Amino acid sequence: MLSGCLVAVFTGNVDAMMTSVLDGISAAVELVVGLIGVFCLWVGIEKLAEESGLIDVLAHRADPVFSRLFPGLRGKRKPLGTVAASVLSNVFGLSSSTPLGLKAMSEIKEVFGGRPGGLDSMARLVILNAAGFTIFPSGVIALRAALGSRAPAIIAGPTALAGLLATVGGLLAYGVLSRRAGSGDRR
Amino acid sequence: MKVLSALGTYAFPAILIAVPAYAAMRGVKVYETFVRGAEEGFKLAIGTLPYLVAVFAAISCFRGSGALDLFASAVGRALRPLRIPADMVPLLLIRPISGSGALAITGDLLRRHGPDSPMGILASILQGATDTTFYVVTLYFGSVKERRTGHVLASCLIGDACGFLAGYLIWRMMIAR
Repeated sequence: MLSGCLVAVFTGNVDAMMTSVLDGISAAVELVVGLIGVFCLWVGIEKLAEESGLIDVLAHRADPVFSRLFPGLRGKRKPLGTVAASVLSNVFGLSSSTPLGLKAMSEIKEVFGGRPGGLDSMARLVILNAAGFTIFPSGVIALRAALGSRAPAIIAGPTALAGLLATVGGLLAYGVLSRRAGSGDRR
Repeated sequence: MKVLSALGTYAFPAILIAVPAYAAMRGVKVYETFVRGAEEGFKLAIGTLPYLVAVFAAISCFRGSGALDLFASAVGRALRPLRIPADMVPLLLIRPISGSGALAITGDLLRRHGPDSPMGILASILQGATDTTFYVVTLYFGSVKERRTGHVLASCLIGDACGFLAGYLIWRMMIAR
């Protein structure tokens, strides 16, 4: 923000900058309004899955893989099931990924309270979902199809592979950075 | 490929039908429970607003002032040895910052070069290689009112760079064939 203001003053772009900032904040509001419905729907469904025991089943099934990705959550069914549901939604390109992700964040916070282990699990969840690894990037494919591509899905494999490497790279970077800071957990 | 796209299309209605049906079978009060969850979802969504406004204001300040363009040309020069096409540099920079911005740039690249041209394919891969990092980090950490994001942003951006580099190298192999 500071750099933006400095550049604006130097280049005399202050007007353009102000318009852009006002556009930006109304975009943020629009975005949240757009999220409300999806969030209500998916967190509602998640509640049903939780009370009927489906989330526990998912947590149990996902445990071998996810407790490796989230060492802090090993054996903790409550956040693990929702974390798995969110990451899997992301992989399959479902709109439930973000609402379930935020639900998982609040569950992690609930389980760990202020204790440091939670921060590590939160960090890992954010890194996984920010890399956005998807086996079928439907958004880009739809855009390509709309613009007259003859093979819109040709990019699916390469895109998925690049996304996978983004995820691995992010997790490795986090591992290195938090170890260098003397176990990022204890901050 | 067909199977995967069908999976994406049908997973959504399948979950919407199967989960309430299963809950009803297990004797859960479907309507009450759903509404309780929806209320929680509502609070989660609304709670992210202050954080999103702050980050969007900062980002649009950076873009609108022209600082981003200065940054883009500097990065473009730095990336020249990698021979990444200059057209792609703005996309690489915008992708982690703004989802709609990146989509607009990708759409423009696809229109200018054609979606099936080498440039169109590269733009598509880069667009899909990662998600909007700043948005995800803000939303997730904002929702739990956690300001200590630690090394997460840096790690995500390094991850994005890995994804872009991988996408570029895969593309080079694709067009070499």
